[in-house]
Amino acid sequence: MNPNRRRRFFINKPLQVRYMLVVTLPLLALCCITIFGIYIGIWGGVLGAFSNEEMRNDMLTASRMVEYEQARYQPAKQGPSLLSLFRETEKLSLRQREVFREILNDTNRDLAWKLILLLILIGWGTIYASHKIAGPLYRFSRTFEDIEKGNYRTRIFLRKGDEGHPVAKELNDALVSTDRLLSDIKNASRDPDTLQALSRIKEKLETIKTSADV
Amino acid sequence: MFRHLSFVFLCALLALPSQSSAYTPSQEERSLLTKIEQDTVQYFIRLSDKTTGMTRDSSRPGSPSSIAATGFALAALAVAGSHGWLPHEYAYNRIVTTLKVMKEKAEHQNGFFYHFLDARTARRVWSSEASSIDTALFLAGALLAAQYYPGTEIELLANELYERVDWKWMMNGSRFICMGWTPESKFLPYYWDSYNELMLLVALAVGAPKNPVPPEAWDAWLRPEGNYNGHRVIYSSSGSLFTYQYSHAFIDFRGLKDQGNDFFTNSTEATLANRAFSLSFAGKYKSYSENSWGLSASVGPGGYKAYGALPGGTLHDGTIAPYAALSSIVFTPELSINAIKFFFNNYGENLYGNFGFKGAFNLDKSWWADEYIGIDQGISFLMLENFLNDGIIWKKFMGLEAVKRWLELTKLQAAESEPVSLNSSSEV
Repeated sequence: MNPNRRRRFFINKPLQVRYMLVVTLPLLALCCITIFGIYIGIWGGVLGAFSNEEMRNDMLTASRMVEYEQARYQPAKQGPSLLSLFRETEKLSLRQREVFREILNDTNRDLAWKLILLLILIGWGTIYASHKIAGPLYRFSRTFEDIEKGNYRTRIFLRKGDEGHPVAKELNDALVSTDRLLSDIKNASRDPDTLQALSRIKEKLETIKTSADV
Repeated sequence: MFRHLSFVFLCALLALPSQSSAYTPSQEERSLLTKIEQDTVQYFIRLSDKTTGMTRDSSRPGSPSSIAATGFALAALAVAGSHGWLPHEYAYNRIVTTLKVMKEKAEHQNGFFYHFLDARTARRVWSSEASSIDTALFLAGALLAAQYYPGTEIELLANELYERVDWKWMMNGSRFICMGWTPESKFLPYYWDSYNELMLLVALAVGAPKNPVPPEAWDAWLRPEGNYNGHRVIYSSSGSLFTYQYSHAFIDFRGLKDQGNDFFTNSTEATLANRAFSLSFAGKYKSYSENSWGLSASVGPGGYKAYGALPGGTLHDGTIAPYAALSSIVFTPELSINAIKFFFNNYGENLYGNFGFKGAFNLDKSWWADEYIGIDQGISFLMLENFLNDGIIWKKFMGLEAVKRWLELTKLQAAESEPVSLNSSSEV
């Protein structure tokens, strides 16, 4: 069994649920708007075109032309096949092609700007959402660099709405504690009485656990 | 004594009831048939373009003009003019205008007109084919009109259009006449190779003054025989009643012997078989009954279909086209008149309008056609005219030089003409 395997799907349930919603809701909105746009666009176009009396008559006439041909030529009966489907609708398609090309072009034009707007919105949403994580991560990184450089006065300051506030608080508490310990040791080292200074430092160091204690 | 007995026997034989024999319609029936004929001609007056004279395929809005319907219109206008239902000048001018447009503007290929043309511009529409049968129907109408106006511009124009057709080209090197040609795919892969409405086409093609097809083309097409309910029929593949009627609207086949076949009798038998077939389904479909029959190509609840009966195709769904029974009036007068009266009296409200009978109906689906079809009105009109006026269309058409040439070349022999309906009169 892989020891690194995660056994719990929800490590931080509130956070994960929140992010699920953050990702799902825009996608859901995108799907709804797209489907709605396509549905309204195409079917609106089709219904509009077919509501046009002239077009409706044209389509009926095209259909009649095919029926006339079928009635007259009576081609040998064949099993259902894609080819026969295409052949049966050949003449209709000639006429339909013009109609549907116009409908699709109109629909595409309508959808294009909506899709661009959606892309901008999604892009902005993604940046906004990722910023809530990326910002704190950046702050953590800078703080760790400060610590590495020996600056224990550093603290993590996150914006309101950023993710990681509890971790930052705990880390800041830890930093305060470490800063206080190191400050006490530093102050003790400044004691002119060397023995007393050493005793105070030892006392402080006794409270902490390090690799040297193993 | 022997002569006397022979005379009595002949009288008794003539007195036997027979559907193909002459039938005496009552005065009431004649009035109804005349009313239908007069109403039907209105289709060709109202639904022909005022400028070009080209007739719409259907009364449905947006319908293009059909050259077959235009041919029927020429015939109908000439007949209506002869009866005084239209002023002579009006009928004459409309026919001249139409023929001029067809000669000068209508798109064609080697004289074969495209099946569907724009009624205003006479340009090809709907990627339709240059159609051999529809051109033949148009020319039949034009040549018939010419017979009503001999020695006039109508005769001149009709003959010019007829002579322009290259019939031999449409054979495409085969033994049969091709159904059509399109600029996109050239000759269609279908030929007039078996019995149906082709007889008018082949007759005009064989008898043509220029570029005729060889007389052998008449004998080449198949004459498949079938039997249904005791009716032996040379049948068409669709089994549609119109296939047994169209050629007979113009050509008088009575007594003509073709390889031992009598096509007038054949159409009578086909009509009886068609009626018997629908009657056998009377329990299944409400539309079928003793006086409600006629399976033929028509509009229906599911679109235009080649409805038909045995022997031949048996596509049917309970849809009856009134024109089918009506147009068999010269073959089965009594049965057809009974059907006409039934349709008119029982369904008139839904089925009859300003232009005669509408396309079709289907009681099982509570469906009534709300349109008239040009060629349906055309065949109805001509068959009524033949019936009511002692085969006047046949007499005029059989007088054409082209028809005489066809008879001579194919060695078909015409018998003495018989009255179509007793008490028939040239004046109605």
